[in-house]
Amino acid sequence: MESLGDTLWDVVIYGTGLQQSLLALSLSRSGKKILHLDPNDYYGGPDAALSLQETEAWVEHISHPANPATGVFRSSSITKPDGATGLSFPRAYSLALAPQVIHARSTLLSQLVSSRAYRQVEFLAVGSFFVFNPPSTPDEKPSLARIPSTREDVFSEPTISMKAKRGLIKFLKFVLDYEGESQRDVWTPHADGQLTDFLQKQFNLDAQLQAYVVALTLSLDGKISTKDGLAIIYRHLTSMGLFGPGFAAVYPKWGGLSEIAQVACRAGAVGGAVYMLGTSIQKLETRESEIELHLSSGDVVKTQLLVRNDEITDDGSGVSRMVAVVRSTLKELFEPLVEGAPLPAVAVVAFPRGLVGDDGTPTNPVYLFAHSSDTGECPVGQCVLYLTTLRTSDSKKFLNKALNCFLESINEGQKPQSLYQLYYEQARGAVESRAEGLIHNLPDASLSLSFDDSTLEPMKAVWEKMLSDAPAEAEYMVFPDRDVGQDEEELYD
Amino acid sequence: MECEDALPTIKILLIGSSGVGKSALLQRYCDDKFDPEASAATIGIDFQVRKMTIGGKPYRVNLFDTAGQERFRTLSTSFYRGSHGVLLVYDISNRATFLAMERWFLEVETNTTEDIALHLVGTKLDKAAQGREVSTEEGCALAKKHGALFSEVSSLTRENVRKPFADVINQIMQTPALAASIHGGRPPGTVTLGGDGGGGSWGCAC
Repeated sequence: MESLGDTLWDVVIYGTGLQQSLLALSLSRSGKKILHLDPNDYYGGPDAALSLQETEAWVEHISHPANPATGVFRSSSITKPDGATGLSFPRAYSLALAPQVIHARSTLLSQLVSSRAYRQVEFLAVGSFFVFNPPSTPDEKPSLARIPSTREDVFSEPTISMKAKRGLIKFLKFVLDYEGESQRDVWTPHADGQLTDFLQKQFNLDAQLQAYVVALTLSLDGKISTKDGLAIIYRHLTSMGLFGPGFAAVYPKWGGLSEIAQVACRAGAVGGAVYMLGTSIQKLETRESEIELHLSSGDVVKTQLLVRNDEITDDGSGVSRMVAVVRSTLKELFEPLVEGAPLPAVAVVAFPRGLVGDDGTPTNPVYLFAHSSDTGECPVGQCVLYLTTLRTSDSKKFLNKALNCFLESINEGQKPQSLYQLYYEQARGAVESRAEGLIHNLPDASLSLSFDDSTLEPMKAVWEKMLSDAPAEAEYMVFPDRDVGQDEEELYD
Repeated sequence: MECEDALPTIKILLIGSSGVGKSALLQRYCDDKFDPEASAATIGIDFQVRKMTIGGKPYRVNLFDTAGQERFRTLSTSFYRGSHGVLLVYDISNRATFLAMERWFLEVETNTTEDIALHLVGTKLDKAAQGREVSTEEGCALAKKHGALFSEVSSLTRENVRKPFADVINQIMQTPALAASIHGGRPPGTVTLGGDGGGGSWGCAC
């Protein structure tokens, strides 16, 4: 077999996060010679999904003083609440480090379909969105209000007044045509203002309905602009029903984007890409038209382009995340929205801005994704909860509080028990793609809670650059199936 | 295509060190071809499809090769998902590939369910007379230790080539938990991208 050093690689890709993996798929299937490396011994980088054992090693690795904080994750810790019993064996879990829901109308899904990679991924429905309601008196329990998801839903919702319903329906009809000329005139003067102000002024929506609309945007600071907010609500509404009744978004089974990254890498390998995990770049020498890389495996390889993530400069921005395993099926969260809808495996709960703080302290929203055992991320009878909020000095406290409030709101005999909690922070890192000679630095993983199509653009740009001399019919991420079969039948009895 | 996808589908993997002849075995089994020059690492094929009638019912068998990801042992957990059977392949004329099998068994055990049908395959049986480095007894003992069936085959001479596939399919069908997990089309509870949609949409609100 040819040694790695004998080949002049077209591109060496460093890291197997979703972005790098999609790039490897597109380039290798378009005939480029790709060497794909990851310093970790697992796939997925910041999008990885880890077993409890791997999580433990991961926490140890990123908090080890000998490891400089060059990656996006920090401040991680694992807590196992006292007296908690029922945690299964470590491999029964697959915890996603940065879970995102994917709207049906997403470029990512169309690229997975056109590249035929989607057939190896199992997609599950994301169901209801809820808004957390604090108790109005100290004796009451907090509750979860389901955001109505269809027109019929809005009308049958007893907690919304008739007048408010009319405002909401009017707004939703407006969004469906928000790019139309007459509608543009209405919102463009408010484009950069806050969506909540626009909803109030233009549609007379009260605080409750404003909270519903903002929850659907999954805006991390809750202060989303009118322009961005309308685009996201438009995507949500037009995604609803696209792949079946009663859901607007999907989630890949077994750990979300990690699964797509792995499938993309496999497709890259089918296209001829060579894979090495647990292999870091130790030294890098730039020559005139190639880069020489010294790998931790001892290999020295040459490439025409290196695609990687820059070392991050942490300015303190980013998100704080908590992953909790709870002993409960949380059945009430996973009801199908309409008849004939697939059983959802993911539910979203929003804690609006200001709700979680102590007595009036303004706080950022907290979003909680509840994943049922259908996601394959935990054993039957348990759920995995993923909580995210903007990173501040108090965010850990707020996530704990939100988790506790959420568990109290569940209408079961007793409060569901948390068996395991993982806390960590994810720095924002680089936002822009940056080319410097023969090195292309990709932006760091997006912190968005729903997949952001704009994160696909840097990979397309690299592909176009590499394929600039290719025949015009080469199309980005459009590839035929690579399975081989014949009609001959064989009998076994 | 639609109805073909709806056939109950069995997923079988072939794993083992580079150069042991996984692809040659697959090609001999599926196309009855053997190409002595094709020793380059496998690229270009995602999986081979074989239609079969088992017990009077039609099935589709998807046979997955490693696509070169065995070279640096980078097969992903997603590769193993949903597999019903695994052929663990070594070369009887290369002892190192046999010694590597313990790690491959371990990888299978970590990534699959305990019911999975396993079959240990020693290839290049045509070299038995001159170049054998692993005895049949050793192969048999290793298979037994891991609860796997065992065969030695030659893709060059066709000897025994069908046996590992027939045995592993047979074992899958005889294992209730595995047989029950064979389904057609999309796995239950999952969503089909590009489905017809309809219902519950805001789009038809007016």
